Amino acid sequence: MSKLLQVENLSTTFYTEDGMVPAVRGVSFHLDYGESLGIVGESGCGKSVSCLSVMRLIPKPGEMTADNIDFEGKDIVSLRERQMQQIRGNDMAMIFQEPMTSFNPVFTIGYQLQEAIRLHQKMNKHDAKEKSIDMLRQVGIPRPEKVVDNYPHSLSGGMRQRAMIAMAISCQPKIIFADEPTTALDVTIQAQILELIGELKEQTNTSVVFISHDLGVIAEMVERVIVMYSGIIVEQSDISSLFSNPKHPYTIGLLHSKPRIDDERAKLKPIPGSVPNPLDLPQGCPYNPRCEYVMDICRNKLPDMYEIDKNLHQARCWLYA
Amino acid sequence: MAEEKIFQVNNLTKFFPIRSGLFSRVSGHIRAVDSVSLQVEEGLTMGLVGESGCGKSTLGRTMLNLLSPTGGEALYRGQDVYQLDARSLRELRKEMQIIFQDPYSSLNPRLNVGEIVGEALRVHGITSSKSETQEKVEHILKVCGLAPYHIRRYPHEFSGGQRQRIGIARALVLNPKFIVADEPIASLDVSIQAQIVNLMEELKEQFGLTYLFISHDLSMVRYISDRVAVMYLGKIVELADTHELYKEPLHPYTEALISAIPTIDPVAKKERIILKGDVPSPANPPSGCYFHPRCPYAFSRCKVEEPEFRNITGSRYASCHLL
Repeated sequence: MSKLLQVENLSTTFYTEDGMVPAVRGVSFHLDYGESLGIVGESGCGKSVSCLSVMRLIPKPGEMTADNIDFEGKDIVSLRERQMQQIRGNDMAMIFQEPMTSFNPVFTIGYQLQEAIRLHQKMNKHDAKEKSIDMLRQVGIPRPEKVVDNYPHSLSGGMRQRAMIAMAISCQPKIIFADEPTTALDVTIQAQILELIGELKEQTNTSVVFISHDLGVIAEMVERVIVMYSGIIVEQSDISSLFSNPKHPYTIGLLHSKPRIDDERAKLKPIPGSVPNPLDLPQGCPYNPRCEYVMDICRNKLPDMYEIDKNLHQARCWLYA
Repeated sequence: MAEEKIFQVNNLTKFFPIRSGLFSRVSGHIRAVDSVSLQVEEGLTMGLVGESGCGKSTLGRTMLNLLSPTGGEALYRGQDVYQLDARSLRELRKEMQIIFQDPYSSLNPRLNVGEIVGEALRVHGITSSKSETQEKVEHILKVCGLAPYHIRRYPHEFSGGQRQRIGIARALVLNPKFIVADEPIASLDVSIQAQIVNLMEELKEQFGLTYLFISHDLSMVRYISDRVAVMYLGKIVELADTHELYKEPLHPYTEALISAIPTIDPVAKKERIILKGDVPSPANPPSGCYFHPRCPYAFSRCKVEEPEFRNITGSRYASCHLL
């Protein structure tokens, strides 16, 4: 597999009335062709902002900087807005968490699908409509020729998320960013949507970046995982060693916070305290106030990513220095 | 386990009228809770699971008489909570409390923590002086993992997990026996969820509480509950001891729900049952068994005849024609 996307030292900062909020602080990762990558972390850890930054969708007064974001030989950071528009939607697409708010309520589903199709593919109105019906059928929406003229409010949450996926895949993108695509859905509907995303990925060999706070969903959907905390990557690994051999104390803490299916009465071991305020980050490793293995050096200096298993598994923790 | 029943619910029904047209005539009903019967044993945790809109919150609130029922009875230690006069109901409220899902909207932003938690003490006339109230509030805050100096702070100064602790302290300050926890962890981060669940377990031991734990998170329900009731479209379709229910679900809906839990273990990929379609509208439920349009095992009888909710073996109950 070769690299489709390479992100180096990405930082995104928001300027608020209360001060500077460093949402993402020096994040580097890559994505191969046809790969599925998971980004896991709790709210505010910077997982969504990282992806929005790669798509250059950070609104002002937010600011994004990076040494390099290479997408198939193009440097995303230095592209003009017009060129970026060509990439967005066409080569990279996004599936948002809340399908209720991510559709425009005053236009029909079909109109919004056709808008995306016609913007990126030279097609007349009639063909675009045909294509949008076809896309809706592909994502398993019953009676697509009817639904295409429906407004978003008349669809259920699961159906709306299917329509969202139809829109995302309508231009055969190379990367799909799925930002908590099932968080707002019920378990049985979540199972439907996860199966659909998995199937579509198989068929089209699209690369998927799967953002979630749910380790279970991540375990089922991806090959490789990035764990984020307070705007930095704390651990990076292939899926099986992350769950069998987690290294960073935060990852270990997260895993102990969820009840295990195999071990019924294993006590939950929560992480004490809460996520640090981004306006007032602790010195050194951001996890140090909650970490049970904390050492003096953790309070002074942010550790590098240390290799656990060459090229497969890295952790940002002084324990492995 | 031969615990005493703290709550016995018989054929409890709650319909919400749908009003439409010029004179707001009632044009139909949302059958939120549809003749539900269950019992909760003292000192145990009863889990109540189901998808959104299945009526699990409505059931919890109707049991506490926060919503008045359309029919049926709910006996708290043998006393029907709907037949009580205002004064006895007020007395009873001290024993039955509720913890809400969203710690952001369930705390009054204009009151400080001392006022939020102390209000119930004042209303029920439990404490006679300000200093006594403060003492009690400080004590309960400490029990719930907050510090006494938090008493003068306002809700916006706390994180989500801390607010939920305030919500728990408010429920606990009256020294209740029965608590309905309505999705208490749904809006919290993973690491904080575990903190709150552990706190609830500790408090249960310490104060001898009985919980009705409402949640859509099946793995947490399994962790905290002794018995579990599964709800679908206003009806309980299965009721069993937690261990049995998760090991061998009897109702096809329970089976599908459990198979849909995403597991943390990437090696143990299991056979998953994917249900077709969405939950039907509770205003217009299907004929026969409410689950039949989505059920993988449905046969002709399911379309016409509603299965009876009955005892299958030991302490297991389910409603399905297959059993």
